[in-house]
Amino acid sequence: MLNVLIIGVGQCGNRILDSINKEAFGGGKFSKYYSRQKFPSRVETIAINTAINDLKEMRYTKAKDRIHIPNLHGLGANRIVGKQCFNENKDMIIRNISERGDFDVAFVISSSSGGTGSSFSPPLIQELKNRYDFPVYSIMVLPFREEGTIYLQNSAFCLKEMRESETDGIILADNQFLKNVGGDIQTAYDGINKMVAERVLFLLEALDSEMMMVTDLGDFKTVMSGGAGFATIGFAKGDNNTAIKTVIHDSLSPSGLLFSSDVYEEGSRAMIILRGDRKYLNIDDISSEIDKLSSHIGHVFKGVIIRNGETPKVLSVLTLETTAELDDLYTLAVEAIHMEKEKRGRMAIRKEADATFSKIDGLEPEY
Amino acid sequence: MKSNRIIIHTLLFLFFVILSIGITSADIIYSERIDKSDGYQINNYVIQVTNTLYGGEVDPTIEIFQLESDGSYTNLKDYVTRTKDMDNTIYLLFSRGSEKISIETLNYTTSYVIMDITTTGITIEYETAVDGGVSNANYIGEPSLTLTKEVDKTNVKIGDIIRVTIKAKNDGNGIAKRISIDPGITPGFTFKSNIYTTYPTELSIGGSFTQMFIYEIQAASNGTFSLNPATATYSSSVFDDDYSSPSNSPTVTVASEAVETSVIDLEVTADKTKLKRGEEITFTIHVQNPKDVPASTIRIDPIIPGNMTYVSGSEDIDIISEKPVIQESVYGARYEKDYTITLQADEIGSNELIVKLTYNNGVDEIREEVSSGMFYVEEGEYDYLAEYPLYIYVAPVLIIVAIAGWLYWRRSQFRM
Repeated sequence: MLNVLIIGVGQCGNRILDSINKEAFGGGKFSKYYSRQKFPSRVETIAINTAINDLKEMRYTKAKDRIHIPNLHGLGANRIVGKQCFNENKDMIIRNISERGDFDVAFVISSSSGGTGSSFSPPLIQELKNRYDFPVYSIMVLPFREEGTIYLQNSAFCLKEMRESETDGIILADNQFLKNVGGDIQTAYDGINKMVAERVLFLLEALDSEMMMVTDLGDFKTVMSGGAGFATIGFAKGDNNTAIKTVIHDSLSPSGLLFSSDVYEEGSRAMIILRGDRKYLNIDDISSEIDKLSSHIGHVFKGVIIRNGETPKVLSVLTLETTAELDDLYTLAVEAIHMEKEKRGRMAIRKEADATFSKIDGLEPEY
Repeated sequence: MKSNRIIIHTLLFLFFVILSIGITSADIIYSERIDKSDGYQINNYVIQVTNTLYGGEVDPTIEIFQLESDGSYTNLKDYVTRTKDMDNTIYLLFSRGSEKISIETLNYTTSYVIMDITTTGITIEYETAVDGGVSNANYIGEPSLTLTKEVDKTNVKIGDIIRVTIKAKNDGNGIAKRISIDPGITPGFTFKSNIYTTYPTELSIGGSFTQMFIYEIQAASNGTFSLNPATATYSSSVFDDDYSSPSNSPTVTVASEAVETSVIDLEVTADKTKLKRGEEITFTIHVQNPKDVPASTIRIDPIIPGNMTYVSGSEDIDIISEKPVIQESVYGARYEKDYTITLQADEIGSNELIVKLTYNNGVDEIREEVSSGMFYVEEGEYDYLAEYPLYIYVAPVLIIVAIAGWLYWRRSQFRM
């Protein structure tokens, strides 16, 4: 049995972590009262945030698993303050993690754009790598592009620092790409969080289940070590009449991926896990579709989990060699940085105006 | 012939006259057997069969005794002549002055004697067989009447009729004869009528008349009176003396003429006669003084049944010692008022609301009690729930508590 540590940092990370815990309970609103979490492994979840209200909003993560960084009510998306804050509190955070025993793998979930998540995650992973031997993977959520210049520049710097943090891989989930979930903003966020949660749980099950065709943590490490250090996860499920070939294809298509990518062109390594009733898992269809993928990207690990009576589901983990979407993000980020600089310039003019006004400081009007 | 016939008729007339005199002066008053050691008492004489042994020269012993007033007795053998004829018939003749007692045995055995007893010159006042003989006989002496005078009411007003009853009992040891009663009319009272009159000529020893003389008198003036005692005069046949016995003197108080007083009519009604347990019932206490005289110091106490609870009442109702009380200083002339009182039924059963009323009618303090009539408390709508055993309720409650505890504990795990 694997020992898995999942850390949700910042508001986004907290919510995805809460969603993972909720799905582990079974997904019902009141499931935490009558059900036990059905993680296939020993899973410890920790939520870290500087904003107490974000921690209080969590519903399915136990209070003892929530770490509030004291004396702060959020960082206001300021990564400089965030990194300083992390340095001041990292001992407390690491001590809390170490009290939970040994782990075989860790996932750090956060947003790349916000304050706490984007500023805490890179140094946190750095600290974990410095202290422990287990692989640490980042699940990084990219912002809506229209969310603002600060979030864009935060994402750019966060991703850069994350790559420098010795993380064993960055799994990207892109809000911009996933916003087709639809509905209001709350529903969209909840939908995205649930999508990520389902995939993470499926991945954990794939790493720690008895399978007809085995994939394990070693395979996952090999997959994640390929490419440029970025990865994404695809997922699809079929019904009684859907061929497994179609389901695999859907999991690799934009509708199934968490991050926009042409996996056949940009993929480096892949792991495909299939789950469902034996009658749906036609080996010829599976082989043909995986052969097609491997002919493009190279090696593809595959695992099969037999679940009697269950319709077919497919999880694909893909590392990317290049990503055009990320290039586009950085292009926007550079523009955002310039825009912020211009704003700074305008602030200087404003200061000159302040100097003009200050000429009458100490004087009173005469009538 | 004619003169002979006259002589014969004259002799026959004389014979019957003499015969009739003999019959009246020498009656056989007893002709029965007397067992050994028993006797027969005639006035204060006792004829006793002392011994019944006989044979040879021994005959039954028959003695005559005189009873004395101090309880002793004297053997009158000095006044008795005893003879015996050829048929073994024994004759005893007691003779003292004009008083004679003749005894003739008709038969005798070893256990009894059958005899004829004849007296002459004795007026028999008392005669009886005496078991045990003279030692058990009672002296017949003077009568003594105890006279009691009773009245049917002791507090009256002028004009009221009082019934007087005179009772008599003979507590002496002689028969009272020729009794006459003087009722003893008291000044201030007028004799109205005789209701019942007994004129007993005599009253036996221990005998009594409980309604010897009943009559009515009318109070004519106010005041407190000791009624004059009634007096009985009587005599004894044994003794020549006359006797008299006075009665007691009951006291009667006669008030002045009647004063008009107030009267409070009290009526208690309920708004229902049946209700379920837990429900309320409202009573209306209606009071009315129809007189032209005010009543004062009125107090009305509704007595709440034990299985009812007082809920509310009119604002005039005070709660004293947790009990509702209505207190009014005056109800004016021709006054009426309603009070309401609401009770709640606590238990099943039949009940009535008793309302006690006290007031002063101008002369006296009057006390009354009025009932609402019966009303019935039936089983409440949810009473059947209480009939189930305790575990029916405990088990679900424990389960609910356990679930609530679990939810609270679980929720606390997820709250920060």
